[in-house]
Amino acid sequence: MTAPALTRLPAAPRVTTHPATFGRLVTGEWVKFRSLRSSWAILALGVVLVPAFAVSRMTSIAQVPEAAGSASLVASVYVTSGTALTQLVFAVFGVMAIAGEYGSGQIRTTLAVTPGRIAAIGAKLLVTVLAAMGASIVAVAISWAASAPWFAATGMSIDLTNADDLRILAGVPLYLGAITALAFGVGLIVRSSAAGIAIVLGFLLVLENLLGVIPWEPIQAFAAYLPSSAGSRLLQSDAVGSVITTSNLTLLSPWAGYGVMVAWVVDILVVAFVLLRRRDA
Amino acid sequence: MIEAQRLTKRYPDATAVDGVSFTIRPGIVTGFLGPNGAGKSTTMRMIMGLDRPTAGTVTVNGTSYARFRAPLGEVGALLDAKAVHRGRSAENHLLSLAATHGIARRRVHDVIEATGLSTVARKRVGTFSLGMGQRLGIAAALLGDPQTLILDEPVNGLDPEGVLWVRTLLRGLAAEGRTVFLSSHLMSEMALTADHLVILGRGRVIVDAPTREVVGRAQKAAVQVTTPMGAELERVLLRHPGVSVVVIDRGILEVTGIDAPRIAAAASVEGIVLHGLAPVHVSLEEAYMQLTADAVEYRSSSDLTDRVDSTDPARPDPSGPVSHDRTTGGSR
Repeated sequence: MTAPALTRLPAAPRVTTHPATFGRLVTGEWVKFRSLRSSWAILALGVVLVPAFAVSRMTSIAQVPEAAGSASLVASVYVTSGTALTQLVFAVFGVMAIAGEYGSGQIRTTLAVTPGRIAAIGAKLLVTVLAAMGASIVAVAISWAASAPWFAATGMSIDLTNADDLRILAGVPLYLGAITALAFGVGLIVRSSAAGIAIVLGFLLVLENLLGVIPWEPIQAFAAYLPSSAGSRLLQSDAVGSVITTSNLTLLSPWAGYGVMVAWVVDILVVAFVLLRRRDA
Repeated sequence: MIEAQRLTKRYPDATAVDGVSFTIRPGIVTGFLGPNGAGKSTTMRMIMGLDRPTAGTVTVNGTSYARFRAPLGEVGALLDAKAVHRGRSAENHLLSLAATHGIARRRVHDVIEATGLSTVARKRVGTFSLGMGQRLGIAAALLGDPQTLILDEPVNGLDPEGVLWVRTLLRGLAAEGRTVFLSSHLMSEMALTADHLVILGRGRVIVDAPTREVVGRAQKAAVQVTTPMGAELERVLLRHPGVSVVVIDRGILEVTGIDAPRIAAAASVEGIVLHGLAPVHVSLEEAYMQLTADAVEYRSSSDLTDRVDSTDPARPDPSGPVSHDRTTGGSR
C-alpha cells in the first residue's frame, strides 16, 4: 500500500509495506526455515551420518594394516562415503520443505502473500537447496576432521591441491544440493510428503540400484544416466568405484555425469513449476 | 472495493460458483452468507488468486490480485485459520510474512498485541485452539494495514468474547473507510455484524441487499397451511401481490405476505379444503435457510408440483441437498 491511502486512517500507526521482491521472499523463506525445529533436526541427522560413516570405515580399515597404502584407499572417498546415507535424509528434507506446506495449509498463506507463485516457491527452493549445501559442507568438514586421526595408520591423505580430492569433497554439497532440489521438485508435483518421499526414495534406493545390477549392458548403460548414478560420478574415484549406487559404469566423466543429473533436476523443476502456475492452490 | 463479474468455477463433476457478480463497497461490512458448499470459500480463493476462475473476473480496487506487488498492503485475508505450519510459532509465522514485504518488526508485535496473542506468541501453532488460530489468522490479515479485508468464517471457533471482539474490530475497520468482506454460515451473527449481505446458494447470488432489508423481509409473519389441495391453493394465493409460497412438505405450505383469515377466505371462494391454518414465527435463521433453499423451492412453485428433490440429476451439487436442516460447522 502506498502512503496516501493511509492518510484516511488517522488512528492506525503508519505501516509501510514494500514490494515483495525476490530478495524479500528469500528472507521470508529463511525466517520460515530457521523457525522450524524439524528443519534443523533433519539437517543435523544428515550431517552426523557423514562423519559417523567415515569413522566406522576408518576404524575397520585400520584393523587391516596390510592394506595400508593400497591404491584403493582414497581418503576423500572414505571421508565422503556417508553421502550415500545422507542423500536419503536430504531427499526427505527436500520433499518435506515443500510438501509440508501443502500438508499444513501454509501454502495458501505463502501463495496469497506472493501471487507470482514462481518467485515465492523459487525463493523457498533456493533457501532449501542452500541449507542442504551448507549442511553438506559442514558434514564434510566434520568428517574430514573426525577421520584425520586414522590417516597416518592407513596411509591415506587428503590434498586439496589434488584435483580428484577437491572434486570429491566439493562434489558432496553439489551432489546433495541437486538431490535436495530433485526431491523438492517431486514434492511440488505430488504435494504430499508421504507420496513424495516414497517416490524419491523408491527411485534412489530401489530403481537405480536394481537397474544397475541387471547384467545386461543396455540397461546398465541406461542406468548410468539416471540422476543419482550420473551425479555421483562426481564423488567417484576411479580407484574405488561408486559408493553411492550400484552403477559402476564410467561412460560419463565426473562433470558430464553431474551435468546429466542437473539436467534431470531442471526438467523435474520445470514440470513442477508449470504445474504450480496452472493448478489451484 | 471488490468487484466480481460472472465469476464461475466449474470442476469436472460440479459447478461450485456459477456466474457470480457483486460489488463489495468500502466503508461498510459486507457479509457473505450461504450454507456450507454454497461456494463462499471458492469465491474468496478466486479473489485471492489461489483458485483460477473457469470464467469471469474478479478485481480488488480495480486490479486483479495477481498484479499486486505488495499484496499484504492491499488485501488482508483469513482464508483458513489452519493455513499455518503447525511447527512454527505465531511470532515467527508473522515475522516471515513481514519479511516478504519489508514490514517492521514493531508492527508484528503490534498486531500480536492487538489480537491478544502476546502470551502465546512464542508457542508452536500446533498447540493452538481453533480460536487462537483464528486470532493468528486475523493478525496476519492486519499485518500490512490493508484497505481491504477478506475473512472466511472469522468467528468460527471463537468464544462469545472473541466473537464480540471480531465484530467490534471489523466494524471499526469499516468505519475507517476500509472494505470488509467476511463469510459466515450463521445469519444471526451476520445480522449483527454486517451492513450489507450477499447471500449465495448453490453457487449463485440469491440476495444482494442491505442487512436491514433482508432482516425485514425475513421477519415477515408466515402462515403454515395444511391442505390436500396444495397445488391449487398455491396457484390461488400467488395471484395476490406480495405473496410467496414455500412448499414445506407434501400438503404443507408456508405462506408469507397474507394473513390466515385472508388465506381461509381465498380458499373458501375456490372451494379448496384446508386441514390446518397456523401462524408461525419465522426466526431469522429459519428465514435465511428458506432463502438459501429457494433456488430449489421456486422451481417447485413454478411447475406447481410437489417439492423438487434437490438431488435432481440435472444439477449435481457436491454440497448435497440444500434443505431446511440447520447446517453447522466450518467451511471445508
